Amino acid sequence: MQWFARRQSAPGGGARRVLAIGIDGVPYSFAMRQIAEGRMPNLARIFQAGTVRPLNSSWPFVSSVAWSSFMTGCNPGKHNIYGFVDRRLNTYDVFLPNSSTMKREPIWCELSKAGKEVVVMNVPVTYPPRQVNGLMVSCFLSPSLEKATYPKELAGRLQQMGYKIDADAAIARRNKDDFMKELHHVLERRAAVMFELMDSEPWDFFMSHIMETDRLHHFFWEYMENNDPYWAPQFYDFYEKVDTILGQVWERVDENTTLVILSDHGFCTVRKEVYLNTWLRENGWLSTEPAPGKPPSIASITPATRAYSMDPGRVFINLRGREPRGSVEPGADYERVRQQLSDELLELRDPDTGEKMVQRVYKREEIYHGENYQNAPDLVISPTTGYAFKGAMDREHLTYKGDVLIGEHTFDDALLYVSGHDIVKSTLTMEDVVPAVYNLMRVPQPDGLDGALVISA
Amino acid sequence: MSRGFTLWFTGLSGAGKTTIGEIVEQTIRERGNKVEMLDGDVVRTHLSKGLGFSREDRDTNILRIGWVCEVLTRNDVVAIATAISPYRQAREQVRANIPAFVEVYIATSLEECARRDVKGLYKKAISGEIPSFTGVSDPYEPPASAEIVVQTEGRTPEESAGDIVSWLEAHGYLTPAPKAAPEPAPVAVAVPVSSAPSSSSAYSEEEEAEVSKRLEDLGYM
Repeated sequence: MQWFARRQSAPGGGARRVLAIGIDGVPYSFAMRQIAEGRMPNLARIFQAGTVRPLNSSWPFVSSVAWSSFMTGCNPGKHNIYGFVDRRLNTYDVFLPNSSTMKREPIWCELSKAGKEVVVMNVPVTYPPRQVNGLMVSCFLSPSLEKATYPKELAGRLQQMGYKIDADAAIARRNKDDFMKELHHVLERRAAVMFELMDSEPWDFFMSHIMETDRLHHFFWEYMENNDPYWAPQFYDFYEKVDTILGQVWERVDENTTLVILSDHGFCTVRKEVYLNTWLRENGWLSTEPAPGKPPSIASITPATRAYSMDPGRVFINLRGREPRGSVEPGADYERVRQQLSDELLELRDPDTGEKMVQRVYKREEIYHGENYQNAPDLVISPTTGYAFKGAMDREHLTYKGDVLIGEHTFDDALLYVSGHDIVKSTLTMEDVVPAVYNLMRVPQPDGLDGALVISA
Repeated sequence: MSRGFTLWFTGLSGAGKTTIGEIVEQTIRERGNKVEMLDGDVVRTHLSKGLGFSREDRDTNILRIGWVCEVLTRNDVVAIATAISPYRQAREQVRANIPAFVEVYIATSLEECARRDVKGLYKKAISGEIPSFTGVSDPYEPPASAEIVVQTEGRTPEESAGDIVSWLEAHGYLTPAPKAAPEPAPVAVAVPVSSAPSSSSAYSEEEEAEVSKRLEDLGYM
């Protein structure tokens, strides 16, 4: 890329390198229990050589938003990624946010500009792959491996090594035994490629992301929590493999390298899936007129709609002047509608148990700020743990408890580990990670980051 | 008539901001819009008279231009600012105050600007006659996420301006001109600075369906 400076050796000798491993959806509390019960000896050894603390996720707490906040050091109001799916402003068109809709630079692009060599593998929201000073393998948002790499030629090398972008979740819906095998296979291939690149490529910053933990949790977490005699041992076996891989990573950490391990949200058992649009429809907030034979969708919203929801727990007011068939007037009317809806959502109860399903409703100005604030949802729900808010519009019932997807994210209880340093802040956010990396690598951080420097010298 | 927006040109001295900006201004006006151009060199003769070239003064100059753009935009005038605006933070500050803000990075390289040296300034800067000259003795921070990036080298100002107008049309800022005769396809389009493909081209329809299916299987959609 034209502006990459030539690589210069660090002044005073001794390259300052950072090796970061993402372990998607691994809760702090779970990792600590694994260690306490002696099931992850390598992780125990690693954690003894640095500091590990709980980390809060982003709003909403899904991987795409949380990892975007991580890689840019900014809140969604700046980086512009608010979910796996979004609506284009001023339209009812739905699209898949990706690296080209991200409006702040991820750390590897900044490091590249500073002349650092980087290798980045599988971090969510890195498709399309960015041109970096090194190598990039995009995440599960890539349509194919051929399109997932920078440079393009890297794809062939990965193909030969049997690399797979993601475990095929469709398998889990057919047969969970097969899916467990798939998870092992994908993790093994990913680790093989990771070590191959780690050992053969030059790098100052290396990041690899393990997605399989999140996938395991979505489909097996409840079995583990219930100590299911068939599945719980298999769940722990999977973590044994993760621990072995982390041990092999640790062997490669020398005195010039800082190891960072982090996850992006916690996990819990799904109590119920909650179809909020069903509630909005039944209570006069949402009206749709789908074309004959088509299911209702955002595109079929009518002017009688005051609010609609997208995954997970994002609520949009049907605002005049913004939404094409918007009917709520901006200003006082908007505020009144938002307040009324927020009050009613707080009273939303589990139809079977009567339990409150919403803990808090955030107005967007409470959690987002920045130049892409206008794309933010108007309200964001903080659910009672275990209630998974969904954006589907075609469901008949408000809640559903199935046996396929049985694990759900939590906002709190992600984790951050840094080797050889203290972490000096107690409540950590996803945005707080990269300032430490810039600091460790002696690269000036870009202006306008939201994260704080949380490590000691 | 279009609604107001701000078209903010940034780039090195001699990159082509004013030349290209004037062509774009003309086109926008021809389409029946109110348009006002604020050129950095001109602004320094009145609005920012007396300001120097320290970082603080440069930022003050940009914030003043930004404020005028904000007022114009609010009143449905298209505001075009052409100023070096070397510091990212100041540009971001202006952006934060203007909802319809389009940043145009005129990405002419320092070597090319110095070679062109239209105003003879690079020669003076390199000899030390002008201190604090952007790109030579003062920093220039290229935008991290400009909406439009224009590569001018080997292209005419008209072609570059055409790229900007096409972008504005495609993104609903400008009503396309009624077509009298079929036009040739544009030679090149403006690309985002990041080298990432634009969001509309990230997925084909088929690919989007494939990735959506994956997200559905995971319960994310």
